[in-house]
Amino acid sequence: MATLVVASSALFGAACASVRSPVPTCTSFGRLALVAESVPTASYVPCLGTLPAGWGASGFDASSGRTRFTLTSDRARGTPVRVALLPACDVRGATPTSPRAPGARTYTVLRSVSPRYAGTLTDVFAGGCVTYQFDFQRGPHIALMEEFEGAITLYPRQQLSVEVHRRLGVSIG
Amino acid sequence: MLAVTAALWAALLFGPTLRAVTDVDTTVLRVVAHTRTAALTSVMRAVDHVGSAAVVRVVAWATIAALLACRRFPHLIAYLAALLAVSVIETVVAVHVARIRPVGVAILAPWSGYAHPSRPVAGVAVLLVGAVHTLVPAPWRRRAAVTSAVALACLGLARLYLAVDHPTDVLAGVALGWAVPALLYAFATPDESFPVTYGYRPRAHLDIGGARGQAIRGALDQQLGIHVTSVEPFGLGGSAGSTPLLITGRRRERDEEVAVFAKLYARNHVRSDRLYKLARSIRYGRLEDELPFSSVRRLAEYEDHLLRLFRDLGLPTPEPYGLVEISPEREYLLVMEFFAGAAELGDAPLGEGEIDQGLAIVRTMWDAGVAHRDIKPSNLLVRDGGVVLIDVAFAAVRPTPWRQAVDLANMMLTLALVSSAEQVYRRALRVFTPDDIAEAFAASRGVTVPAQLKARLHADGRRLDDAFRALAPTRAPVAVQRWTVRRVTSTIGVAAVITGAVWAASVYARSAGLL
Repeated sequence: MATLVVASSALFGAACASVRSPVPTCTSFGRLALVAESVPTASYVPCLGTLPAGWGASGFDASSGRTRFTLTSDRARGTPVRVALLPACDVRGATPTSPRAPGARTYTVLRSVSPRYAGTLTDVFAGGCVTYQFDFQRGPHIALMEEFEGAITLYPRQQLSVEVHRRLGVSIG
Repeated sequence: MLAVTAALWAALLFGPTLRAVTDVDTTVLRVVAHTRTAALTSVMRAVDHVGSAAVVRVVAWATIAALLACRRFPHLIAYLAALLAVSVIETVVAVHVARIRPVGVAILAPWSGYAHPSRPVAGVAVLLVGAVHTLVPAPWRRRAAVTSAVALACLGLARLYLAVDHPTDVLAGVALGWAVPALLYAFATPDESFPVTYGYRPRAHLDIGGARGQAIRGALDQQLGIHVTSVEPFGLGGSAGSTPLLITGRRRERDEEVAVFAKLYARNHVRSDRLYKLARSIRYGRLEDELPFSSVRRLAEYEDHLLRLFRDLGLPTPEPYGLVEISPEREYLLVMEFFAGAAELGDAPLGEGEIDQGLAIVRTMWDAGVAHRDIKPSNLLVRDGGVVLIDVAFAAVRPTPWRQAVDLANMMLTLALVSSAEQVYRRALRVFTPDDIAEAFAASRGVTVPAQLKARLHADGRRLDDAFRALAPTRAPVAVQRWTVRRVTSTIGVAAVITGAVWAASVYARSAGLL
């Protein structure tokens, strides 16, 4: 009986662990709508474009007030990029960089430059913001930064609303 | 209910049907939203808090603790399985359906994850059904189920009022959290086999009412020709390996009233025997290195055989009347003579005649090559000046001389409890040599003395074992090889199972949402 319990728990546990909510891609409008609902004011929602080779996305967690997920590279195991959509972000003292979407502003705060390149990239737009916390080994960090920035797209809420209405007949606003 | 829910899940996977269901859901939510007031919203938020993950976790752990405290392990396993099953199904459905939260109506409460099925509703439902089936006794269950259903309905209504879930999300949550566990409990822990009762009752002792009681009466009538008038538990305190019963009735063949003693054996006794022997072999090594029984039938057959063997050897043991099959391979009743008016040895002062009879029993066993292996006060009865030996379940044929020596030591200690070491030693010399007695007490040590006898010796306080050793010739303690390959492998195996169980428990707790 004990063996049965152990085996079944492990089996079901493994089964459950393998069923994880995937991070929404920019074409999975149903899932993306949930991200939009988490921060109803946000004019953009982050979604996965094309993941570069060696990158994986996991830990999707959308709830009222925020959405989070992580991106992990096989060249930076143990230090995933933590992505979060929030209603507001504090960018005081951050350095402005080139914006990643029309109407958005992008800021960078570096916590460390060497030996690790670590900090937070923040996209600020009307009604919300997306933060990306990164921590890479110096050296490969230039390629890694480019890759994760390219992997995440800011999808316009207006466009998403049209798609959701076309599919579900409801408007996410 | 489950079929409707499965159909709903299928509908939610396709665009046109999803759109139709969402239309209906949104219409209902809009109607409900018209009833919103500030005061009602506060109440509904408070009700919704009952379904929060923290509350669900606390209640789940409290139920687990209660089931552990009550040693209700079959219910506990079913409860854990229900939590896990609901959690897994819920996760799979949520990921595949990927339904968004209601739109078009303001959401008034916090939420997390996909809307379908409603996780808080399913979580509370599984807790309520679990409590009803594992903690509430059958007579009160219907009332508890109705109360739980009302509580769940309040939560569902609050979720709709706050527009956190669609109506179909709530319905799916109810179906999943209520129907799946209810089916599981009905299948795994039916009340006939696993009744929920309170008050102390040793696990070995089965309920003999209801269907089992009827089966016992029918089987005794058909197989032994005894028309049963009453079946009562008897001597529960002295038995932990079976359910002892006193059965009275009329024997049809001779048309006479009879009272028989019976031991009811079931699968849980075989499991207990297996665990008991494993624990003993790990704790004591070769002292108790023996193989467990493979089935209930074998366990009952073995004791029946030994009863007949002991009778054939002329030992004063109960006359076996036969083995009665209650349920094939599941439950058997071993029926034997009942010693009416017999008293446990020690309940009355002992004369030399009884001491001699006790010692003669051991002598006969030595000569015949058998050992009782469980000689203690509750297994020695006195009736009409004669000593009788009961409970031969642990007896062995062709035991080691060491085991036979232990039988002698335990008999002498038992007899000395109601007389004196000097008197018993003096009478023992009539049938045993001083060397036999010296060897018996050289072999005797804490682990060889049955628990009941050990407790009586401790309460007696005369240090009877030392008294016997002082009377007998000096003999070095018998060394017993405790470490065997089996003990080592059993110990490693048990350690591995415990490690695996801890790992599985942590995986389980994460999967079932208990962490």
